[in-house]
Amino acid sequence: MASVSFRNVYKYYKSEKEPSVKDFQLEIADGEFLVLVGPSGCGKTTTLRMLSGLEEVSKGDIYIGSRFINYVSPKDRDIAMVFQNYALYPNLSVYENMALGLKLRKVAKHEIELRVKRAARILEITNHLEKKPSQLSGGQKQRVALGRAIVREPAVFLMDEPLSNLDAKLRAQTRAELIKMHGTLKTTTVYVTHDQTEALTMGTRIVVMKDGLIQQVDKPAVVYSNPNNMFVAGFIGSPAMNFIKGAITESSDEFFFENKRMRMRIPESYYPYIRKLNPNNLRSIVLGLRPEHVISERAEVNNFSEWKVNALIEIKELMGADTFLYLKLGEEQVISRIVEASEEYMPEEKLEVALQMDKAHFFDETTGNSICR
Amino acid sequence: MGAIIYQFKKMSWSEIVLLISLMLMAAFLFLPILFIFNHAFKPFSELFNYPPTFIVRQPTFQNFNDLIMKTSAGAVPFTRYVFNSLIVVVCTVFAVIFTSLLAAYVLSKHKFYFKSLVMGVIMLSLMYAPETVGIPRYLIISWLDINNTYFGHILPFVASPVAVFLMKQFIDQIPNDLIEAAKIDGATELRIFVKLVLPLAFPAVATIAIITIQAVWGDTQASTLFMQDETMKTLPYYISTLASAGTGGNTIAGQGIAAAAGLLMFLPNLIIFLLFQKRMMETMVHSGVK
Repeated sequence: MASVSFRNVYKYYKSEKEPSVKDFQLEIADGEFLVLVGPSGCGKTTTLRMLSGLEEVSKGDIYIGSRFINYVSPKDRDIAMVFQNYALYPNLSVYENMALGLKLRKVAKHEIELRVKRAARILEITNHLEKKPSQLSGGQKQRVALGRAIVREPAVFLMDEPLSNLDAKLRAQTRAELIKMHGTLKTTTVYVTHDQTEALTMGTRIVVMKDGLIQQVDKPAVVYSNPNNMFVAGFIGSPAMNFIKGAITESSDEFFFENKRMRMRIPESYYPYIRKLNPNNLRSIVLGLRPEHVISERAEVNNFSEWKVNALIEIKELMGADTFLYLKLGEEQVISRIVEASEEYMPEEKLEVALQMDKAHFFDETTGNSICR
Repeated sequence: MGAIIYQFKKMSWSEIVLLISLMLMAAFLFLPILFIFNHAFKPFSELFNYPPTFIVRQPTFQNFNDLIMKTSAGAVPFTRYVFNSLIVVVCTVFAVIFTSLLAAYVLSKHKFYFKSLVMGVIMLSLMYAPETVGIPRYLIISWLDINNTYFGHILPFVASPVAVFLMKQFIDQIPNDLIEAAKIDGATELRIFVKLVLPLAFPAVATIAIITIQAVWGDTQASTLFMQDETMKTLPYYISTLASAGTGGNTIAGQGIAAAAGLLMFLPNLIIFLLFQKRMMETMVHSGVK
């Protein structure tokens, strides 16, 4: 077990002008489950591959524990990696697949057997040890790939989208098992995914990346409730956060969020942030509101009478317990989440909704950064 | 029989027509093979029958006997040609597989300068028919001073762009992740190559072995151009001289010997093809459209 430290790491590819990873600065504590999340091409996999040693570091230093590992070959870094497409050796049996790493490290035979059997028991693949990978289902293959990493007992686990080849049900199940596994093994894990659900559910901390730059590093709950900028706000959370363009105006010591369609009083808790800003910047502001903070249930709307606004229902989506309403607020489209809807909603119906301004986020439209920090 | 009738019942009319016409075609293509086998065992009297017959009436080993007992103009026994051919085929096959595997693996999975240039040159050399490079080949062989040695037989075949190309296409299919996983597991380059790439590329290796064996086993160019010493020539060259007057053969008496030798030449091809048929199809499918 070990901590991992990235210090001003860059990755340049010859064919591209812009670096794929820019000034990546991160300290990962021992035993942490760190999730790198972002859209494809954001540099998350490149970062992981630099840590694994499969990709060279163009600039900057990487440490595992106190060891400087920029020039250490992958096999000497004391890491184990799980790949998206499992990467099991097709010509070896499941047992041999899991044992190979140990065999190459000259671990004693009985020790190998002990560790493989133990990992197989944890992952419930004891019955399949003699089979070839081609005889296994996708989920079983993924377990073998995990098993191959576990038996090595490495300092750091690296996982590159290990669940994306599984179907939805199996993915949810394996996700839970990975969390449980990390709970017992407590090995430092770096996990790459493009799926924000995986990031939120699995990470002890998550790193949101875009265009090779870290956008935000924090605990999942903080990233969700207090995003740094519009990109993080829009990327984390499903359905995505609603954005409404407008301006912040002041009249008689009160601040209002205002556009053609609405004029909403902003709660006092935001005033210190707003006062800090250059008044010019207040003219182009984006209001961010999570779908659950757009209240559509008639009974509840009245609790927020000062933040009411008229809307038109475009589409209704029933997602089991949740119902999503796609609403039209003038030119803006807004999604509202209703938990266990008790009323009927029909498309094309007019509706009064409340925007819960005390939960709102405000972003500078030009920079995209949150003004609430 | 019942099972066959059951199979027929499941088929539609068009399928049955297709099956029958394919079977007829197969039967037609089988005729030369049948002819080779029978011809070799025909006594002298039957060889020149008119109309020619497919099936031998009085089989005899006389032709084989003649073949083994007869020595060529230079007093070189038949077995010497067989020995030469075997040495050349075995060495060439191993050399071709060794070089093409190494080259293909590096071209497919490693990054280095001038990679596309090297690949381009290999592709370019695919375009030339062997006849067009006969003279440059001769010059190189004589410059290297390997006339009348086994190297003269083997080296021209070792530079095989077809083998490298086929092998590269096949190795391209092996996912990079697999090789990276092995690297992280602690395998050295050599081990990755021997324990991972080689077994996975085995169908391609088999295909290349077959292609090479067939080409080398039937080749007369090296014996004709590069070998002046009769003891260094190979079996196909010898057989080509048996029944042609210009090279000391006997156009009439040689026919029986030629028939027996023809069968001997054909047998290795048949056996190898029957053994590796399935692998060969795999490679051809993989290296083509996908």
